[in-house]
Amino acid sequence: MLEHFLGGLAVVMQPLNLLLLTSAVFIGFIGGALPGISGVILVVILLPVTYGMEPTTAFMVLTAIYGATVFSGLITAILYRAPGTPEAVMTAFDGYPMTQRGEAGKALGIGVLSSAIGGIVGTIALIIFTPMLAKMALKFSSPEYFALAVLGLTVVASLGGRLIYGLIGAALGLLIATVGIDPLTGTSRYTFGNLNLAEGVGLIPVIVGLFAVSEVMKRTLDHGSHQPLTKVKVKIFDLPILRQIGMTLSRSSIIGVVIGILPGIGASTAAMVSYSETVRWSKHPEKFGKGAPEGIAAPESANNAAAMGALVPLFALGIPGSGTTAVILGAFIMHGLQPGPMFMLTSSDLIYAVFAGLFIVNFMILLFSKPFIMLFTKLLNVPYSALGPIIIMCCIVGTYSVRNSLFDVWLMLGFGVAGYLLEKINFPLVSIILGLVLGPIAESELRRALSMSQGDVSIFLTRPISATLLGIALLLLAVTLITPLIKRARRNATA
Amino acid sequence: MPITHSIKYATLAFALLGVATGASASDADDFPSKPIQFLVAAGAGGGTDNFARVVRPMFEEALGGARITVVNLPAASGALAHQRTATSAADGHTLDFASTTLVTSLAAGQNPVGLDQVTPVARMQSDVMALFVNPERFPDFESFVQYAEENPGKVTVGGTHTASPDHVAFLSLRDASGLDMNFIPYDSTGNATANVLGGNIDATTTSLSPLLSYIEAGQMMPILVFSDERLEDYPDVPTTVENDWDLTDGNDRAIFVHADTPAPILQRLEDAFKTVYDSEDYQSYAERVNLDYREGWMGSDEYRQRLENNYELYSRLLKND
Repeated sequence: MLEHFLGGLAVVMQPLNLLLLTSAVFIGFIGGALPGISGVILVVILLPVTYGMEPTTAFMVLTAIYGATVFSGLITAILYRAPGTPEAVMTAFDGYPMTQRGEAGKALGIGVLSSAIGGIVGTIALIIFTPMLAKMALKFSSPEYFALAVLGLTVVASLGGRLIYGLIGAALGLLIATVGIDPLTGTSRYTFGNLNLAEGVGLIPVIVGLFAVSEVMKRTLDHGSHQPLTKVKVKIFDLPILRQIGMTLSRSSIIGVVIGILPGIGASTAAMVSYSETVRWSKHPEKFGKGAPEGIAAPESANNAAAMGALVPLFALGIPGSGTTAVILGAFIMHGLQPGPMFMLTSSDLIYAVFAGLFIVNFMILLFSKPFIMLFTKLLNVPYSALGPIIIMCCIVGTYSVRNSLFDVWLMLGFGVAGYLLEKINFPLVSIILGLVLGPIAESELRRALSMSQGDVSIFLTRPISATLLGIALLLLAVTLITPLIKRARRNATA
Repeated sequence: MPITHSIKYATLAFALLGVATGASASDADDFPSKPIQFLVAAGAGGGTDNFARVVRPMFEEALGGARITVVNLPAASGALAHQRTATSAADGHTLDFASTTLVTSLAAGQNPVGLDQVTPVARMQSDVMALFVNPERFPDFESFVQYAEENPGKVTVGGTHTASPDHVAFLSLRDASGLDMNFIPYDSTGNATANVLGGNIDATTTSLSPLLSYIEAGQMMPILVFSDERLEDYPDVPTTVENDWDLTDGNDRAIFVHADTPAPILQRLEDAFKTVYDSEDYQSYAERVNLDYREGWMGSDEYRQRLENNYELYSRLLKND
């Protein structure tokens, strides 16, 4: 394996390939940093350009762009609370408060380092485990996915803030997720005969509206919430911080890899789950959402690890693990290659060159991100009266471009107003996103599992993985609900 | 005052002239008189999208120069693309690239744009449908049938979402064979395949080309092909027609226009696509993506007839489901 990898590295180190790889990283940086332009769109746009290239070069470029977009979504998420990609939503929760405190440089440094570490862990897992892990992922079927979604949803209880708001938010997210044509029966739900709603409410309009637009509204309408203008100095290697987030980094990278490998669940879900787990295991869960460094480290290491993990089923089985990898699968077919069980044997040179390329890309992120970020931090000194409209414009263009739909733009603006109002009562917006992302997984996998078992509910308990996951969910829920009661009882006893 | 009046009349006259020339532009010689739009009724990166983007430069050449833009409208299983085609001018400048999903979603009542509003220019691809299993579980179709007969209601067959070509193929097979089986819809072919590989479900009905590499690796095997003749590469795999089931529909990719498009323009479009289809470039693409198992080409009239028949069949199958 090492021999193959070194061979791949030699291919990557050819001057032309290295040059193409560097430009791919920069293109990915720009695409990822602009809200609405996700990895999927960028890969599709650049697909025709790669037709003329050799397959090995073409896929090194495409996967490098993919890796770089997942990283650079964090820049605008931290600086403006306008996540550049869906994968970076969770990063805004703690990154933006840090910017408001004047710690943008620190936040960005943590983000860059976490991304690179997550990416490197993911790439190593990709190289070592591709043949092995792919087989294990097949054990995951509907009951297991349902259990995983339930585990994610129980996090609402430990998110902090008022529990009732969290529950309402999650329910709201679940409700929004039901809109559209039911994929299992084909019945239209809450579409009111409107074709634009048939596909459901997209994640992008909701995220961009709730976070970016509402923030611009807040800054414009509520005077006195101006952030202090400070010089942003990005420091990537910072030992005390590294000590503080070390544990979070290792846990989140592993969570990211595992979730990334599961077919059909992407980096956005990985970021969400690892964020929730970090909150759950933290000694100070109340600090999250207010600018905790761990709150950046967790989602950023997880989403980059997951982005690499998602390539495992693609290379080993020909099954895409996320939206972007589905497009990359299409690109392989266009080049006359068919990823699948035989791919590792027939095209091992190409695969190891791509692996080596990804490895290099993660170091390039460490190296090149600083000058790139400086471009964006310069914008912080632009008066908000000029910057705000530009952010809104980017949001509108970005949202429109996802489905070429003006309806989505109105939807996004609507969610912007809703987000603005909800924040006034300290409503945890994250719970809505939690419901929206996990709702479709929980619902359709529950129904699929039940049709697998002809309606027998015991399927969730007789399969070892789903039974374990559900057990953990129940246990964690019990702990989070009972702990405050015990504490109160103790306090009463001592009083 | 009189001057402005005369200007007004002159403008009006020019406008009328413009309308008049617009009408006579149905003359196919002037076609295309403005940029052409390809609406893709599917997301970016999928099979239908690749098809449209590969055909685009070839089609430009076949028309002797044209400006073409490609727009993806995946919403509502492509219904939005069909709707925009049906509401655009009936001048052949808006082309809808769609798969069999157009007619299956129409039959399911999810797509409001009927075959009276859009009409096919041509079909260019027809991927063969087949029933796939893990060969370790079922060595051949006979053993599958035997298992299904002994375990009524227990057999689970996966495929993409409800009212997809996969689902309709399953329904027509169940209807013809009388086997008691259940369909489980997945988000994508990949997920359905993964569940067959992992032994979580028994089989999948889907098109052949995406699964070729599993077949080569011996992990998946077609045990029944929806075709009138056995396929050259799989001489041992029986066909539906051998079993006296008249099921030969594949997953088609075709081009549609506004139903009122003048006949000469429709003819010109069909001819241009035929030129593309016959070109070496296109045939080598079809071979590369494994869509050369059977003739893909079907002209406008023949394909319209076939779609109308299929619409009736699919409506009945989906209603009884």
